[in-house]
Amino acid sequence: MGTVAPILRASGLVKRYRRTLAVAGVDLEVMPRERVALLGPNGAGKTTTLMMLLGVVTPDAGTVDVAGYRLPRHRSEAARHVGFAAGYLPLPERLRVREFLTMFGHLYGLVDPRRAVAAGLERFDIAELGDNMGNELSSGQRTLVGIIKATLHRPSLLVLDEPTASLDPDVARRVRSGLERLCAEEGTALLVTSHDMLEVERLCERVVFISRGLVVADGRPSEVASSFGVEGLEEVFVHLARGQA
Amino acid sequence: MSADAWASSDVITDGWRASALRITAVARRHAYVLQRAPQRWFDVVFWPLVDTILFGALGVQLARASHGGHTAVGGLLAGILLFHVVFQAEIGLSTGFMEETWDRNLLNLLVTPLRESEYVAGVVLFGLGKLAIAITTVSVVAYALFAFHATDLGPGLIPLVAVLLVIGWSVGLVVIGLILRVGQGAEILAWGLLAIVMPLSGTFYPVSALPGLLQPVAHLLPTTRVFTAGRTVLAGGAIPWGQIAWGALGAVVIAAASVWWLRRSLAAFRARGSISRHV
Repeated sequence: MGTVAPILRASGLVKRYRRTLAVAGVDLEVMPRERVALLGPNGAGKTTTLMMLLGVVTPDAGTVDVAGYRLPRHRSEAARHVGFAAGYLPLPERLRVREFLTMFGHLYGLVDPRRAVAAGLERFDIAELGDNMGNELSSGQRTLVGIIKATLHRPSLLVLDEPTASLDPDVARRVRSGLERLCAEEGTALLVTSHDMLEVERLCERVVFISRGLVVADGRPSEVASSFGVEGLEEVFVHLARGQA
Repeated sequence: MSADAWASSDVITDGWRASALRITAVARRHAYVLQRAPQRWFDVVFWPLVDTILFGALGVQLARASHGGHTAVGGLLAGILLFHVVFQAEIGLSTGFMEETWDRNLLNLLVTPLRESEYVAGVVLFGLGKLAIAITTVSVVAYALFAFHATDLGPGLIPLVAVLLVIGWSVGLVVIGLILRVGQGAEILAWGLLAIVMPLSGTFYPVSALPGLLQPVAHLLPTTRVFTAGRTVLAGGAIPWGQIAWGALGAVVIAAASVWWLRRSLAAFRARGSISRHV
C-alpha cells in the first residue's frame, strides 16, 4: 500500500524584507482533504507564507511543492491544482460577475465554464447576482464570488486569506457552510487564515499557529489549546499576540 | 454541486489550446473594459482625431506659406499615422497592464496557470484591435479633411508598421517592468516615454532639423529610420530597404532588451514581495 503524498509541502521557508524577518523558517504540509487553519497575530508572517506557497513571492530559502510540482519552475502547472481567494480582494469594476467567473474559468482551462459558473453561484446562493457589475456587490457578495472563482476548476487545494473578514454573521455563515459542502463533496483540501477562532474551530480539523515567522504550534484545535494550558484557540491567539507585541 | 456540472465542461490544461484559451480570455476581459469605460476611447479615437486635424491643418498652413503644395500636408499626416502605430501599440500594452493594478486584479491573475507571456499576448491581441480603430480614425479623417491617402505610402507601409509595432510593444514592456519595480508612480511613463522618443525620431522632420547635439541620439533610434523611410517613400523614392533593415535590427535589439528587463523586473517584484502594493 503506497503512502498518500501531501498536496502541499513547504520546507524551511524564509523571507526577509529589508531589516524585517517576516518568515523565519516555516515547514508546512497539507494532506489531501485536510482542512488546515494558518493562524497568528497581525505581522506573524501568515500572508507572506501564503504568498510564497502560491508562488507570488519568492522565498529567500526553502522549497514549495504543490501537487508534486516544485515552485517557481512549475508554477503554472501547480496553479491548476490550487484555488485562491481573499476577503480583501475586490472584483474588477467593469466586468459582470458572470464575465469575471467565465474569464477565470478559461484561465483554469475550462473550455465552456458556463455550467460550472452557474453551479458555483447556486452553491453559495447568489445565482441572482450573475449579471451584476463587480462594483455593485457588497463586500460579502464579493467574497462569495471570489471563492466561486477559486473553485471553478475543482482544485485539490483551496487557499483562503481571511475569507470572512468584515462580513456580517449571516454571510460569514453562508461562506462557512458553502466551504463545508465543497470540502465534503469535492474532497478539496483547505488552507485558511482567519482571526475568527470560533470559525476556525468549526471549519478546520488542524491549526498551525505562527508567531514571529515561526510555527509555534501544530495540531488539532483542542490539542493546541491544551498544550498552551488554555481552553480555546482564542486564548492561544491572545497569548501569542501579547508575546509578539 | 453536482459533479456533472464539470463533466460536460471540457478541461484542457496543456498545449497550445490551453494557451489560446488563456490568451483570448485576457483579450476579452480588456474588450469589456473598453466597451464600458468611455474615457478609454480618448486614446483610441479622440487623440488620433485631434492629432490628424492639428497636423493636417498645420501642413496646409506650411504649404501655403512656402508654396510647398501637398508635400507638407502629406509629410505631417504620414508622420502622425506612423506615430500612432507605435503609440497605440505601446499604450495598449501598458494601459492594459495598468488596468489590472487599478482594479487590484493582479493577485487574482498571478495565482492562476496564466503565464506571463500569455498575459502579454492577450493584451497585445486586444491592443491590435485598438490599433486598428485608431489607425482607421487617422486614415479616414486624413482622407476626408485633407485628401491624404494612407495608401500613398504603398507596400512599404507594411514593413514600416511591423517595425513600429515591435518598438511600441517593447516600450510597453519597459513601462510594465518599471511599474513592477517602483509601483504606480511609474505609470506616467506610459505616455511620457514616447513623448521623449517622438521629437528625437524626426517624426515630422528630417534629423538635420534637430539641434546638432541631439542628432547623434536621433540616429541611434530605430524609430528615426522608420520615419525617414516613410518620408522617402512619400516623396516618391524607392523603398529604402537599407533604412528599414537598420530599423528592424534596432527593433529586435530593443525587443530582446525589453523582454530581459521585464523578466528581471518580475523576478524583483516576486523577491521584494511587491504584490502588497497592489492588493
